[in-house]
Amino acid sequence: MKARLKFDKQRTAEPIISTVVLKTKALINILKAEVDESAGEVLIEVPDDKAESTIAAFKQEGVAVQVGGFIEISRQRCIDCGHCITLCPVQAISAEEDLTVKIDQDRCINCGACVDCCPTRAISMLQ
Amino acid sequence: MKTQRTIEEINEKIRRGEATVVTAEEMTEIVKSRGVEVAARDVDVVTTGTFGAMCSSGVFLNFGHSDPPIKIENLTLNGVEAYHGNAAVDAYLGATKMHPEKKFEYGGGHVIEDLVSGKEVELIATAYGTDCYPRRSVNTTITLDDLNQAILCNPRNAYQRYHAATNGRDELIYTYMGKLLPQYGNATYSGAGELNPLTNDPDYETIGVGTRIFLGGGIGYVTGSGTQHDPGAGFGTLMVQGDLKKMSPRFLRGGSFTNYGTTLYVGIGIPIPILNEGLARKTGISDSEIKTSLLDYGVPRRNRPILKDTDYAELKSGKITLKDRTIPVAALSSLKLAREVASTLKRWIEEKRFLLTQPQERLPSTGSLKPMKISRETLFAQNIMLPAVTCRAEEDIDTVAKRIVEKNVNHVVVVTSTGTLCGIVTSFDITRAVALKETKLANVMTHQVVTSSPDEPVESCARKMKKHDISALPVIDAEKNILGIVTSERISTLFGEYR
Ligand code: SF4
Ligand code: SF4
Repeated sequence: MKARLKFDKQRTAEPIISTVVLKTKALINILKAEVDESAGEVLIEVPDDKAESTIAAFKQEGVAVQVGGFIEISRQRCIDCGHCITLCPVQAISAEEDLTVKIDQDRCINCGACVDCCPTRAISMLQ
Repeated sequence: MKTQRTIEEINEKIRRGEATVVTAEEMTEIVKSRGVEVAARDVDVVTTGTFGAMCSSGVFLNFGHSDPPIKIENLTLNGVEAYHGNAAVDAYLGATKMHPEKKFEYGGGHVIEDLVSGKEVELIATAYGTDCYPRRSVNTTITLDDLNQAILCNPRNAYQRYHAATNGRDELIYTYMGKLLPQYGNATYSGAGELNPLTNDPDYETIGVGTRIFLGGGIGYVTGSGTQHDPGAGFGTLMVQGDLKKMSPRFLRGGSFTNYGTTLYVGIGIPIPILNEGLARKTGISDSEIKTSLLDYGVPRRNRPILKDTDYAELKSGKITLKDRTIPVAALSSLKLAREVASTLKRWIEEKRFLLTQPQERLPSTGSLKPMKISRETLFAQNIMLPAVTCRAEEDIDTVAKRIVEKNVNHVVVVTSTGTLCGIVTSFDITRAVALKETKLANVMTHQVVTSSPDEPVESCARKMKKHDISALPVIDAEKNILGIVTSERISTLFGEYR
């Protein structure tokens, strides 16, 4: 299972991930980490049997946890054509009033159907 | 006609900062709410815009001479081959030429985007060497600034309108109209509807040879009607050119169509001077008045079946009805960027940075399109199919095995009592059944059969077999009656090895 952790400003210096690993004994794999002065975002992979306890442990530490939906549209490349909208089986992609195309991360089931349809290769699946 | 003005009068107003300029979408609203007469009186210029994949795009490049000089024979830019059939250091790079190792991902369109973004591009050239141009190879990097000229020159852009596409096959297909889900699962279209340049001047009254336009974020010109210009059918096109050095990557983007090819997305905007009420009325056109058809791209023929008539209002709504279904539809072009093109052009005119031009010659407004002349006749499944050897699902393996030997075939088509298709069994399936001591045919046959229609071109049959890694296609009619069978063996004997 993959999950995205969001740390706020004060907590980025603390060893939260290590604390959770010690507590849950889950082998957490860090796939991607982005930390700047305002906040930190880390994409992790957890063995499925430890998923629940790990999420609970992070939440206890006050970390926002997001599960599923790891698809990203590059605003730089997207031309807002809308082709991807027609391919999404769960209607996770939609166009706003001003035609900007957006993915609803909570709906996305990470199926990948939209990725190779994009004519500007704006869609990427976070690995 | 009450309102009459000339392009010169409009330019005078632009210079004085007094011209009223609106986008084609705004014009539609004005005509609807205040009428043609008022619109003609109040509006001087209507700006149009489109932003779509324009495969017929490319750029003429001049690299200047090296020392010693070279007469280039073969040339690649970032690995993409450019056409070099002109003078020593000129070349034409086409948008659809693909990188041999990055097929469908990187091509001429992307090189053009890289150039216009100011990136370095690797140039590798070879030559045979002559007395006057002795150099045999060049390996260097260039940027747009290093080039003497870079002229975007597109022989067929800005289609007046285009049809919409969907897919009636049982399988997913990748086309130049995008990724189309099986059984009419989605649909795509192209074009900006009421914002589209030629749609607003359907009789080519103001757009002609020499018309100054917005091209790729810079300034360009219409140099004539485009290739495949088909005014009779309402499918006019333009040939355009402009200085790439003045363009912007916002309005020129490399495009990738999986399993089809690469292309270039181009933003084009054309100003339409409102010379009279007729032009006010024409530029007042709304999406619901722009008709087009939804075609079945599942049929790989030049004339694809029309599933229904539609219009740009329905297409832009995001949903299209087909019989009793509603399917999602979206553009491959960008309406959002088309709007940005039209409003940028509007701003340029308001800021007195862009004046209108009088066309030097009108575009042809009659004539139609010829299909390609094929000197060798095209063959279809019905021309090459063989009679199918059939059996019933209830028959036992032994009987079917005997029939395979007797008739010397590799495929037996399984039929129902009324003779319609229900499966297929190969000699390999039978061998396996014997080895595993399986006696029931139903347990070894394939139930999901890939089939062909009688009028499917042989090339398409061959592609299908390759794609599914099979060696025969039963040919069936709409009622699933067996008409025959096309085998890869038959195709190979007739035409030699198929790739
Ligand atoms: S297909 Fe690509 S370019 Fe088109 S809207 Fe989706 S992400 Fe954007
Ligand atoms: S990955 Fe699948 S579910 Fe997620 S947005 Fe793309 S098509 Fe929809």
